[in-house]
Amino acid sequence: MKMIECDNLTKRFGHLTAVDHVSFSVEKQSIFGFLGPNGSGKTTVMRMLCGILEPSDGTGRIAGVDVAAETDRIKGSIGYMSQKFSLYDELTTNENLLFYGRLYGLAGDALRTRRDELVALTHLEPYLAQRAALLSGGWRQRLAMACALVHKPAVLFLDEPTAGIDPVARRELWDLLFELSSQGVTLFVTTHYMDEAERCSQVGYIFMSKLIVCGEPDELKLRPEVNPPGTKRLDVTCDHVTIALPAVRKLAGIRDTTVFGQSMHLLVDAQMPEQLIRDTLAGAGIHEVDIRHIAPSLEDVFVALTKVRA
Amino acid sequence: MKLFRGFRAILYKEFIVIFRDRMTLFFMLFPPMVQIVAFGFALDNDVKHMPMVVLNEDRTVESRALIDAFVNTQTFRVVGEVNSVEELAEQMRRGKIYMGLQIPPDFTRNLRAGRKATVQVLIDGSNSTTALQALNTALGIALRRSLDVLLGETGRRELPIEVRPQVMYNPAMRAPNFFVPGVIGTALQIAILFAVAMSVVRERERGTLENLLVSPMSRWGLMLGKLVPYLCVSMLMAVLLFGILRWVFFVPIQGSLIALMFSALLFIFALASLGLLVSTKAQTQNEAMQMSMTVMLPSIFFSGFIFPRETMPWIFYAFSTLLPLTYFIQLMRGIVLRGAGLRELWPQLTVLAGMGLALFSLCALRFRRKIG
Repeated sequence: MKMIECDNLTKRFGHLTAVDHVSFSVEKQSIFGFLGPNGSGKTTVMRMLCGILEPSDGTGRIAGVDVAAETDRIKGSIGYMSQKFSLYDELTTNENLLFYGRLYGLAGDALRTRRDELVALTHLEPYLAQRAALLSGGWRQRLAMACALVHKPAVLFLDEPTAGIDPVARRELWDLLFELSSQGVTLFVTTHYMDEAERCSQVGYIFMSKLIVCGEPDELKLRPEVNPPGTKRLDVTCDHVTIALPAVRKLAGIRDTTVFGQSMHLLVDAQMPEQLIRDTLAGAGIHEVDIRHIAPSLEDVFVALTKVRA
Repeated sequence: MKLFRGFRAILYKEFIVIFRDRMTLFFMLFPPMVQIVAFGFALDNDVKHMPMVVLNEDRTVESRALIDAFVNTQTFRVVGEVNSVEELAEQMRRGKIYMGLQIPPDFTRNLRAGRKATVQVLIDGSNSTTALQALNTALGIALRRSLDVLLGETGRRELPIEVRPQVMYNPAMRAPNFFVPGVIGTALQIAILFAVAMSVVRERERGTLENLLVSPMSRWGLMLGKLVPYLCVSMLMAVLLFGILRWVFFVPIQGSLIALMFSALLFIFALASLGLLVSTKAQTQNEAMQMSMTVMLPSIFFSGFIFPRETMPWIFYAFSTLLPLTYFIQLMRGIVLRGAGLRELWPQLTVLAGMGLALFSLCALRFRRKIG
């Protein structure tokens, strides 16, 4: 079942087209990762799908319901966690949860039960009586998430949920997302992190207002634009990558190079012998060299597709 | 109820926020107190004991009696004698005196001979209020003394006509009785407008408004939930201010307390709705602040708080009918000073209620549950 559908969704602000005919759909229970540089239109798409921004053109649907025409009908099915985890700083953790619960019509025992469930899910117990203003980034994010889940939405939108929080909190958030997904929640997550994108069941990449690619990560890596015919991808691990890179770049048959810490990722002509690379590096005084064939990463996918567009 | 969905949640949250946010509460309650005390004591147009100097070139019993007559009105006090007109003018230029009295050498001679005796009175006109009062007092004294002389000549013992003034409602004509009710209005207005004007726009700036918009909350629910807590705090403030009126300025409240509180409630409702309208229109707190100022300043000048509306050019008079403060000041003076009740003051009450309802509905109806 398609939980989220965009059909030529477009948003113009005056002369600026912030979102340009974006179409995609997300199946129930999947985790959709939405990537793109700042200002490319990620948040705008999300706001339109949440019914708080009017599309200029095209339609968005949540569980088959048009978000612009029947905004009130989707409100119960969506949860939204905005950027920077907006919370009421004057309220405690407990009060924030109760407030959002009441806002969604919960009361009495039902409200308290739901609060307890969310506290158990997010481990917020020790911070219940603390003002939100005093929570650290990771805990603010959990609280914001718990608030967004208070009415058991079928679709949860998270706008850069891991921006500015520590790696442990980041990993724990993803564990939580997988748990929600297993419970049947459909997740729509914007992020800048490629490793997070790799964990999504489906990713979309928006660049200069246009969705340039969308699909499952593994399937995207097999795209012809990413793997031009007659090429192969190599991971070359060696000392002094900064010396090695300019040396290798001079070789004929090198299509693209990227540095990854202690190694280089090379896109080279298929017939290029690996020995040629070893010899070149030996000429530069580098002898310990390890060469492996690799599949493209999602980053490679986005870089390749962005270049095709540009 | 569907129309007011989310009202109870917002109400609950807003009460907590108001009482936790010490700054907002402080700035709502403290400045009005200071204002009422400061304004109440400072705004006093009873002119008393204005400094004057005397240039007495006559130096007789009669001339001294004339000076005493000036002092006895309590409007003036003699701060010195001068020896020349130049000296007198110099003192006035320096702002040391409001009035100078020059009695020429032939004053007593002319008086005794039954000729016209002249005295010169120099008044500093740079402040029209004090100048007018000084002039009236001087003319009154001259008239009174002239009549005394004439009475002596005709043999009549009393004046043909006597006016017996009876000032009703504020018999002592104390300025605080006149001003403080108005000060309560302006003080309430400043506190309420600023506080409420921040309420929605603050959420817009912090990003929490987005969360509210995503929720099934209705706009009527949001507006009412925002309004009611401020109404409560403002009513509390009104009670405090009335207390100060009664026990600090000793202004007796002639009318009923119920009429007083009802007027305050309608005034606060109209103002809070206006604040809400500002808050939903403004995109930043700064903008909201400026918009509130735009409403506030004309209110102080045109509401009849200081200057009577009846003497204004028609355009300002017409403008003043749009200001809630205009009606509240009329209500306050009516209830506090004249003991008027709902029966006499229903037109003002109706206008305030209408303004409040119209502004509040406008807020809710024009508020779009969208961003941008």
